[in-house]
Amino acid sequence: MLEPLTNGITRGAIYALIALGYTMVYGILGMINFAHGEVYMIGMFIGILTLGVCTSLGAMPIGIALVLAFFVAMFFAAAQGYTNERIAYRPLRHASRLAPLISAVGVSIFLQNFVMNAQSKDIVNFPRQYSAPLVSPAFVIGDARVTWLQLFIIGLSVALMVGLYLFVQRTRLGKAMRACSQDQTMAGLTGIPVDRVVSATFVIGSSLAAAAGILFAMYNTVGKFDAGYVAGLRAFTAAVLGGIGNIPGAVLGGFIIGLTEDGTVYFWGGDWKDIAAFAALMIILIFRPRGLLGERVAEKV
Amino acid sequence: MITRSLFLRMVLPVVSLFGAATLMVGCGGSNAKDDEVIYIGVAGPFTGPQAKIGTDMAQGVDLAVAEWNERGGISGKKIVVIRGDDEAQPKQATAVAQDLVAKKVVGVVGHFNSGCSIPASEVFNDKKVVMISPASTNPRVTDRGYNGVFRVCGRDDQQGTVAGKFAIEQLKASRIAILHDKTTYGEGLANEFKKTIESLGVEPVYFGGVSKEELDFRAVISAIKAQNPDLWYFGGIYDQGGPLLNQARQSGLTAPLMSGDGLIDKELIKSAGKNAEGSYLTFGPDPARVPTAKTFIAKYRAKHGEPGAYSIYGYDAANVLLNAIAKSPSTKFDDLADFIHGNTFDSAMGPLAFDERGDIKGTYYILWIVKDGEFVVWEKNETAD
Repeated sequence: MLEPLTNGITRGAIYALIALGYTMVYGILGMINFAHGEVYMIGMFIGILTLGVCTSLGAMPIGIALVLAFFVAMFFAAAQGYTNERIAYRPLRHASRLAPLISAVGVSIFLQNFVMNAQSKDIVNFPRQYSAPLVSPAFVIGDARVTWLQLFIIGLSVALMVGLYLFVQRTRLGKAMRACSQDQTMAGLTGIPVDRVVSATFVIGSSLAAAAGILFAMYNTVGKFDAGYVAGLRAFTAAVLGGIGNIPGAVLGGFIIGLTEDGTVYFWGGDWKDIAAFAALMIILIFRPRGLLGERVAEKV
Repeated sequence: MITRSLFLRMVLPVVSLFGAATLMVGCGGSNAKDDEVIYIGVAGPFTGPQAKIGTDMAQGVDLAVAEWNERGGISGKKIVVIRGDDEAQPKQATAVAQDLVAKKVVGVVGHFNSGCSIPASEVFNDKKVVMISPASTNPRVTDRGYNGVFRVCGRDDQQGTVAGKFAIEQLKASRIAILHDKTTYGEGLANEFKKTIESLGVEPVYFGGVSKEELDFRAVISAIKAQNPDLWYFGGIYDQGGPLLNQARQSGLTAPLMSGDGLIDKELIKSAGKNAEGSYLTFGPDPARVPTAKTFIAKYRAKHGEPGAYSIYGYDAANVLLNAIAKSPSTKFDDLADFIHGNTFDSAMGPLAFDERGDIKGTYYILWIVKDGEFVVWEKNETAD
């Protein structure tokens, strides 16, 4: 009975990392970055490719290869997120509300098909030698086997989330991000370089998504070009559920969605999994239309 | 000087007549060249997650067509293959079917997935084009009584039955969990398996589905594990079978997996590695043991590399179609369909004859097992431990 709990927390941690990107961008720009799921997927693929390169370079300690994969993937995903913003969203910043949304969908379709054609339409296997040592169980609670990999995923995700929170609360750039999300015009008038803050937001959100992507591929042993669509949808739901625009809300939402999915499948069967996340969203929005922790009113979209 | 009335009375009619003439010449009608070519269609997933297995099948067809063309074609006419990619999506399948019909194919080898063959067959039946599927196993493909729909593979009610009987009688399983991918094929197969084990007195301890894009199966694996099964069944395709096996073994689900023809592909082994060992699969007879298949395997290897599981079925389906086109009184739909119903064909898998529904006569499915990274036919003395 405890296994849905441990699995749900693990999965929830991954959703939370992705949801942070959605929520931060919405907080600052008031737009939903539909291409965020694809940035997650690109991080996943670059991580797998980097590990493939490490393998062909010969014997390398697993820890070093993984660290390298994370850094490379986060770097390229950040670059991708930055590019998305500059090319597809910034020119439309003063256009109608709908324009950047449609642009985002276009970017999403483009990236999905690009990876599908450039890489593989089939599943791509995560090189198992890099996750093998982590797959063994760390301990057993009740009937739940908690593997080192699950602990690693939860640990790394929480570390990144805490890091983000501290960054937003304690650094100058973080303060600037909070100012921009409160009132962009005034922030600009007080001398905050709004364009740079927006870019930083995308870069940070994309890096987190890339980390989530690699963790997902390690956990599920495979990656696929449409993984961004599936996970992005659920992470977006998590962000809205927690209160879109709110960083702790995204984290809370991620864990809730993860637990809801696992719990629903455990008690009612796999057929209901896709519905679980959306049902949870509907129920919560009925009672708290702004999301669980949301202060921003979701009137913009 | 061109006045307005002059324009309306002379220039405009000339231009419009000229335009109409161009349209009529450019579209429709038949080119003199078309009469020297016979078109056949091949429909299946050539892009997307099942691209490999679809392409394997299409290359089998290409081999058959190449052989016929080397022998001079049919009545001196060259045979040309037109491929239609349905990406394993039922919605694309009807579009592909209509496109092939518009291109005037005499017959079609396809589709691959049952979910595609069934809607496509409606189009082919309506437009009177013969369709032979190399791989669609759902019973509904031939159960609707369409005279021109055939298949050279088995049916899921046979496949599920063979698997169910094996599970109970050979493996003596008593706690069986069943999972499927919610497609026409996967769910249909799982249902047949369930019906069989229930008729033998065993109720499944779990029955559920996962969506086709799902890659994270831990939730259903937990639910299955909680039931302590000694065998579990998956109705689905290898692209999900691989990660499913990996995650199951990681979660501590050690019971053997049983599945159907959707999992027989090298990609499963590449994806799951050792985690696939000991899995039971239902499939047709081993081509390597059928003497007539050996020539096919050698020829295919020379042209296309290692054959996939369905290359030989594509080859056989194409040969049935081409034989019918060559030997029946005409290439009209009714003559072709009646010819196929009424004759026995020599194929790489042995003699093929069809019953009134379009299914092949005779039993078909046997059990295979994954051993040392290879698919081998299950023998009595092999065990999965």
